[in-house]
Amino acid sequence: MMTQMVFQRIGIGFATLMVVSIIVFLATSILPGDVAQIILGQSATPESLAALRTELGLDQPGYVRYFNWLGNMMTGDLGISKAGGATISSLIGGRLGNTMMMAGWVAVISIPISIALGLWAAMHPGTWLDRIVTFGTLSLISVPEFFIATVAVLILAVELHWLPSTAYMTGNETFVELMKALAMPLITLVIVVSAQMIRMTRAGILNVMSSPYIEMAILKGVPRGRIILRHAFFNAIGPIINVIALNLAYLVSGVVIVETIFAYPGLAKLMIDGVQTRDLPLVQACAMIFCATYVVLILIADVGSILSNPRLRNPK
Amino acid sequence: MKDDKSKSELNYKDLTQSDKDLVAKLVRGGFSRREVLKLSMVTGVSLVAAEHLLFDGKAAIAATPKKGGSVRVAIDLHGPNDQTDPMQFTSGIDYARGRAVYSSLIQHANDLTPQPELAETFEPNSNATEWTFKLRKGVEWHDGSKFTADDVVYSMNRHLTEDSTSTIKSVMASVKEWKKLGSHEVKAVMHSPNADLPTLLGIFQNKIIKNGSKGDWIGTGPFTMESFEPGVKSVHKRNENYWREGAHLDACEITAITDPVARVNAVIAGDVDMIARVDPKAYRQVDSAEGVTLTSIPAASQLGICILKNTKPGENDDFVKGMQYIQDRERIVKRVLKGRGTVGNDTPISPAHGKDWCGELPQRPYDPDKAKFHFKKSGYSSAELHVAPVTSGIEDTCLLAQANCAKIGFDLQLKKVPNDGYWGAVWMKEPMNVVTWNMRPTANSQMAIQFGPGGNWNDTFWNNARMGELLSLSLAETDPAKRHKLYCEMQTLIHEGSGMVIPAFSNISDAIRDNVMGVPTVPLGSNGAAEWPEFIWLA
Repeated sequence: MMTQMVFQRIGIGFATLMVVSIIVFLATSILPGDVAQIILGQSATPESLAALRTELGLDQPGYVRYFNWLGNMMTGDLGISKAGGATISSLIGGRLGNTMMMAGWVAVISIPISIALGLWAAMHPGTWLDRIVTFGTLSLISVPEFFIATVAVLILAVELHWLPSTAYMTGNETFVELMKALAMPLITLVIVVSAQMIRMTRAGILNVMSSPYIEMAILKGVPRGRIILRHAFFNAIGPIINVIALNLAYLVSGVVIVETIFAYPGLAKLMIDGVQTRDLPLVQACAMIFCATYVVLILIADVGSILSNPRLRNPK
Repeated sequence: MKDDKSKSELNYKDLTQSDKDLVAKLVRGGFSRREVLKLSMVTGVSLVAAEHLLFDGKAAIAATPKKGGSVRVAIDLHGPNDQTDPMQFTSGIDYARGRAVYSSLIQHANDLTPQPELAETFEPNSNATEWTFKLRKGVEWHDGSKFTADDVVYSMNRHLTEDSTSTIKSVMASVKEWKKLGSHEVKAVMHSPNADLPTLLGIFQNKIIKNGSKGDWIGTGPFTMESFEPGVKSVHKRNENYWREGAHLDACEITAITDPVARVNAVIAGDVDMIARVDPKAYRQVDSAEGVTLTSIPAASQLGICILKNTKPGENDDFVKGMQYIQDRERIVKRVLKGRGTVGNDTPISPAHGKDWCGELPQRPYDPDKAKFHFKKSGYSSAELHVAPVTSGIEDTCLLAQANCAKIGFDLQLKKVPNDGYWGAVWMKEPMNVVTWNMRPTANSQMAIQFGPGGNWNDTFWNNARMGELLSLSLAETDPAKRHKLYCEMQTLIHEGSGMVIPAFSNISDAIRDNVMGVPTVPLGSNGAAEWPEFIWLA
């Protein structure tokens, strides 16, 4: 049953990837100008444009280029950047690592904090502590991340000189140096994603708290902490895992603003650069990675919520 | 008391940047009694103190460069389209890397006079239809092989072939062919005489690469390429085998911070040593920051409004005149560019072009009455201008024009469009659009590119036969007085007849940490037109 679902979802995932690749290909083609025009920019002439288009293979019809790309992709060849001439795998390689590292550290820091704070707030609803958490998270959700990032830079880097203003990595720093370099974007992203996860945890648990079996437990005299940790939490975990998964996917694909402000070489900025230069193979490769990340993370979230819920785990 | 003391012992390093610039200018120009007087008047110090200042300034500016150290330089743009092949260079980060790794035949001095680099001498024949270059001997590539005339002929002819994808193909089109004369001697055979050829050889894309290569970061320049990650950074080490004295720094790193606010914050926080392009909105922040200097180098980077002459409404001369008279030029320089710019006179030539600038041409003033008169005569009461943020200040310039037009009852509609795809989709297509051009090293190339009849980038579609004649006549003219007359005639033609509105030129404004010394001031681009790698040092 479970394995069947997983295989089915993987199949749907592949179909999604194909559809996304076609949509991305078409959407990028609709944009005004092509990569030759962007490379030559203001200095383009009809002759130099034609010469460059031939050199880059842009004179072929769109469907030929799409299927060429698809064929190479299936054999693991991501192709060559049209705009700069580097191989896509070399462009993506280091940045994928950077993105995963950042997402990983943010997850490691923010998930325990969020769940702990969310649980705490749910255990003491209506107290001043709960109000601080609720008010604080609501405020932080409303503030755009570039604002948090810029304020953090102004205070911690420009005024106090405690932390570097950009996430600069040499590639051979010690763990402490690495943490110092990453501190600013980590702080920003932890604040951004935690707020949502805390609220979801709190809301999910309070929602379950009003169900009959919890009332039964209260009547039996079970302590509130035990009710929440033993009974409510596992029944509320489905939506919480889903919010975590969505936030992780966002950390992989959506942090372009944070990457730009801290000059952090990650994947999201690479894809934007690709779109700006109409570098189709690069855009496609990034889109595939992002799409696959969503598919996999949501699959994991669904499996997680099934495993955590006895009713779904053992269907009658 | 304290005040008196500090005044009598005022030293160069205590001055504000504008006073420093003044002293530096006087020192470089060699100062006379009159200039000492001028300095004393401007800065308000006594004559003795002014004299002391100049000597102190001379010592400070001439201080011997120190060896060692490394810098991080952050340019404004980079991405997966960072180039390796000099022929395809398009952005500031390419230019900086190109200057670090490769060499040119000719190098621009701060005043744009051509200086020998890989070419030791450059001589034209009597009518400038052929140029002969004697090349430096004993130069080695980073991989140890010898530099010869074959490399030069190969590199330079790449711009000339029919199917060349060079971004400066048209700039070099006056050359017919580069020929090898000996192991270290080459000749450029011209289609038409060009007295300015050496100056053109100093531009960013004219780098000499190894015969048969595409650059591949093997050069003869002051730094070697240690690692290159497009859109991330490049790391360079000093080339110990350099044919000149060599770079002062042990190493340098060239990267970009694309967000303008983050870039300024990084240099103020000391995370980088030098940045390119400070937005006018950040001038005050940089000026008031400790340890950072905001440079301001007069250049010819135009804030331009193109009115197409081959269509409505620009085909009507009165409409163009109206748009020109409605520009409040002084205010644009003062408010939009915060004083870091020069007033334009609807020609692409600025005082930064030196002796070819026509100062005699009367300055077109801000004159709403004349504008109203011309708009009325043209029969138009509204028009649409496409605006993209192609250079800092252009949007505010257009907004100001819109407000001033409204005052005289003319409806100037601004259509904001993104930079993305602008050059292909809007520029030279919409009847009114905005433009900027990097300053070209010669007045002739600057005018030829935009106003040469039938040219590829004649962005107002103004085709004037006399202009075409003058462009080639002036290239062959070697007598300075006659040459100036020809350049003045061209500027007058553009000023009177073209569809170009150029209310102002912006200065080059970069931010440099105070311990970085020796940054050149070549006005063709940021950070001394990327000429810094060989010359800067850390105090």
